[in-house]
Amino acid sequence: MGEIVFKNICKSFGETKVIEDLNLTIRDGEFTVLVGASGCGKTTLLRMIAGIGPATSGELYIDGEEISDVPPGKRGIAMVFQNYAIYPTMTVKGNIEFGLKNRKIPKAERETLIAEVAETVGLTPYLKRKPSELSGGQRQRVALARAMVKKPKVFLLDEPLSNLDAKLRVSMRTELIELHHRLKTTFVYVTHDQTEAMSMADTIVLMDRGKIQQMASPMEIYNDPNNVFTAQFIGTPPMNIQKMKDGKHQLGYRAEKVQLSETKPDLLYARKAVVLTREMLGSETIYKLQLEEADDGSGKTAVMAKTPNLMFEVDSRVYIGVDRKDLYYFDEEGRRLRGDGISPSLEKMTAEGGES
Amino acid sequence: MKHKQFRIGKLVLPYVMILPAVALLAVFTFYPLFNMVYLSFFKYDMLTPKKFVGWDNYYQLFFVNIDFIAALKNTVFYTLGVIVFMISLALIFALWLQRSTWVNAIVQRFMFLPHICAMLTVAMVFQWLMDDRGLFNAVLSVFNLPALRWLNSSHTALLSILIVAIWKGVGYYALILLSSVKSIPPELLEAADLDDAGKLRTFFKITLPMLSPQLFFLLITITINSFKVFDAVRIMTGGGPGNSSDVLVFYIYRQAFNYSKYGLSAAAGTILLLILLVMTVIYFRILGKRVHYQ
Repeated sequence: MGEIVFKNICKSFGETKVIEDLNLTIRDGEFTVLVGASGCGKTTLLRMIAGIGPATSGELYIDGEEISDVPPGKRGIAMVFQNYAIYPTMTVKGNIEFGLKNRKIPKAERETLIAEVAETVGLTPYLKRKPSELSGGQRQRVALARAMVKKPKVFLLDEPLSNLDAKLRVSMRTELIELHHRLKTTFVYVTHDQTEAMSMADTIVLMDRGKIQQMASPMEIYNDPNNVFTAQFIGTPPMNIQKMKDGKHQLGYRAEKVQLSETKPDLLYARKAVVLTREMLGSETIYKLQLEEADDGSGKTAVMAKTPNLMFEVDSRVYIGVDRKDLYYFDEEGRRLRGDGISPSLEKMTAEGGES
Repeated sequence: MKHKQFRIGKLVLPYVMILPAVALLAVFTFYPLFNMVYLSFFKYDMLTPKKFVGWDNYYQLFFVNIDFIAALKNTVFYTLGVIVFMISLALIFALWLQRSTWVNAIVQRFMFLPHICAMLTVAMVFQWLMDDRGLFNAVLSVFNLPALRWLNSSHTALLSILIVAIWKGVGYYALILLSSVKSIPPELLEAADLDDAGKLRTFFKITLPMLSPQLFFLLITITINSFKVFDAVRIMTGGGPGNSSDVLVFYIYRQAFNYSKYGLSAAAGTILLLILLVMTVIYFRILGKRVHYQ
């Protein structure tokens, strides 16, 4: 069990309001990733759940119980800090054992629990070592073991992989996913890395300036973004967004949906462009292209395309085209238009482009 | 050939670089040190030629002039007192001042002030404060407490000097501890909070071990400084009443400069040196292992 509910949560640091009237339900047993740029309030939310940075106002429930007044140690949660925060003066075993000792768990039981968890994370040979004698990956495991041994209802992870090198980060990612499958408890994971969010999450909560932009599964958030912010935050390169001829509506399309050709394609969206740069990644190639004239007449504008086709040279003239079903429309405020919201006149504008 | 010259130069250069420092140390530290030990086996008054007496000076110290033992006892008592009170007070102040508020910033500066005052002036001011009709007794009388005779009673003389020493030193030591208290990562305390550790347990299991290198440093410097206490005693009590506040260094000073017994004085100095050496070795042996270095 471990369902977390935020109700009308506000948080300010001094004069600055970081979070205003936020409502969010984190479902039991799911791997939920809070993602957003730094300063968006995601860590603030995590610290609220932990009880080490209480909300200014609002209610917070774990399994239906209001926990605002419950001290951090009694909430049935465990947290892995960004810099691990393992106790440098204690051995690995001491670190794992500290929480158990504080709960007055008998020694025999402690020993079994420690042995068990050390085996799971592969720390058994290092139990007598001090943290200073461990590598970054091993310290990370100590932090994990310390959290796991408490058998919490909720795991909180604050950018736990950001201090690891790229290779280790990818392998720890898989390990965390496996761990979640095994434990089947609620994981709340904070990161600013959308790739991490996409690869690990059951549910992504995308935040910006203290507000939830969208909460959905990785597939949904990628394919069906609610707004421009989400469309541009999720996916690399970010979605191309172009102002339309009326200067109000915005048109979006993913780089990987752009079709490049030498002759004008028979698609709803088709524009002339020049290749600015070409990045070959092996399986695919990323082009940066320049349109001579943006649809709203504001001059030159750049778009990204990602395609297996690598034959276009820098400076060559090409046509870019996007299929009708791969186009996204947004209103002036950046909100997504769907279904009936997309009027025939909008599509007409798309087809016309900058021509009048 | 040139290559070889270069290599010799490279070997010699470091020694040339440290030569000035070593020369000064040799003249002003090592020579006096060895000369002191050497002199301790002689009878010497700087007027007549020195005469070898073997262990006689040491015999005198421990079995004839019993005021040496008294001075030694006082010094040990004083040192223990300073260690216990200075470290605990410094720790309390450091913990109290760790929050960065403007009040704390001011308090911190005021606490440091005594450290930059000369002991001479501090001692004289306290002599005046601790006078039979001084401020201290005035405060006691406000609370209807009996007046103390402070420096004039053999019961309180050493204690009074202890108070002055702590008043003068605590700000400095608190500052050292404060800087390390502030350098403890806040996440560690949060992690302890999440691990359901109470306030006391967090203090003893997290904060204190994190401070151990500084506490260890304080322990050693305070021990050495306290064993060498001199100026406050010289000014405030002159070792009295009787020899109730006499201390080792003051004893050494008197033997040498009042009674011209340089040999005896050197022997007492050698004892002091041995005590400090043994203490430091003991500290490192027993406590060194429990100190956590980052």
